[in-house]
Amino acid sequence: MEIDPKPDSENAALVLVKQGAEARVFESVFAGKRSIIKERFSKKYRHPTLDSKLTLKRLNAEARCMTKARRLGVLTPVLYAVDPVIHTLTFEYVEGPSVKDVFLGIGSTGVFQERLTDIATQIGDAIGKLHDGGLVHGDLTTSNMLIRNGTNKLVLIDFGLSFTSTLPEDKAVDLYVLERALISMHSSCGNVMDLILAAYKKSSKQWSSTLNKLAQVRQRGRKRTMVG
Amino acid sequence: MKVFEINGNTLSLALFADVTNSKELLDSMQAGTLDPEVAFLNASLIPDVFPVLAAAHRTLISKSRESLTTRTLHSELVYNYSGSKHITESLKRCGISESSSYVLAARFNASPDEMKAVEKLINGKEIDLDEFEGRADQAQIQKHYKISGPELGISTLADAITCRIAARDAL
Repeated sequence: MEIDPKPDSENAALVLVKQGAEARVFESVFAGKRSIIKERFSKKYRHPTLDSKLTLKRLNAEARCMTKARRLGVLTPVLYAVDPVIHTLTFEYVEGPSVKDVFLGIGSTGVFQERLTDIATQIGDAIGKLHDGGLVHGDLTTSNMLIRNGTNKLVLIDFGLSFTSTLPEDKAVDLYVLERALISMHSSCGNVMDLILAAYKKSSKQWSSTLNKLAQVRQRGRKRTMVG
Repeated sequence: MKVFEINGNTLSLALFADVTNSKELLDSMQAGTLDPEVAFLNASLIPDVFPVLAAAHRTLISKSRESLTTRTLHSELVYNYSGSKHITESLKRCGISESSSYVLAARFNASPDEMKAVEKLINGKEIDLDEFEGRADQAQIQKHYKISGPELGISTLADAITCRIAARDAL
């Protein structure tokens, strides 16, 4: 895939941080502040009209969901700019490790129960707030959660798969994805999911229907069986 | 007066308190006879300089694509700062009114002489940009940008405004 040279002079200092299937993430500077640029690139295998429509729709959806999460009282990076022409989002650079790195560190250096409980509580609380506000993150993994240096506050990132929904099903699957990620990555940390769910119960008023559904989802997996 | 660099352009900002000639400024602005052309913002809605820079960034991008929504580069800055799509309402709220006494003057790519001319246009006391935070009208900001309680618990006013400026067209 070719990389188009950027017309903006400030993008001259772009450093590629990560490349995924849907987007590239760069580090840059926005009006004097360290920033992250997420560029959704076009897929050459799609029809151009469809491609630009989809890309733009997802770009806007991500911006919307990020700002909605903030309105619900969940920390996300500050959105600096949305560019619908070159398909980029620019946001705040959050200084701090991912929850994934923190948990892996805990696993290898012995358990800091206090730190673990604090982070798990923040995760449960944040998801509860999102879900009660009708927002489903869609990609809850420990690498999409950062702990800001200094304040130790949880910051949720990557709302690329987020959508609004009030269905217990969608919320339960959201939690289930996180549970699977925790089991596969962080089993050495003990049962973090229980801590998260305990905090979720306190934070979400609709916890009971979601957790009932979660029990069903655990039986069948993330995808619904579509028999009959 | 302070100069900021954005995308290879500059934005000069000068903040004034106790302004007495807002009516004149408003009249000459609406008549298009302001010389040099400059943006006047209602500074009570500005808790920090950063959201102004974010709005300026948007403005410069639209300008470079020849896709300004409003008539001039400087009115576009006021419009973008509002975070709303309603042009008249934006200019009314985030621009100055006849009774404004606390005003931010902004001009893109201004020469030192031009900024001196701007300072002469305004009858008021120039103050430091550090005064933004202390002089901002929190209630008015919360109302205009619809900033809820839970959001303020985790975010500064400036960050909340910046998000709204950036996400306006996505909403």
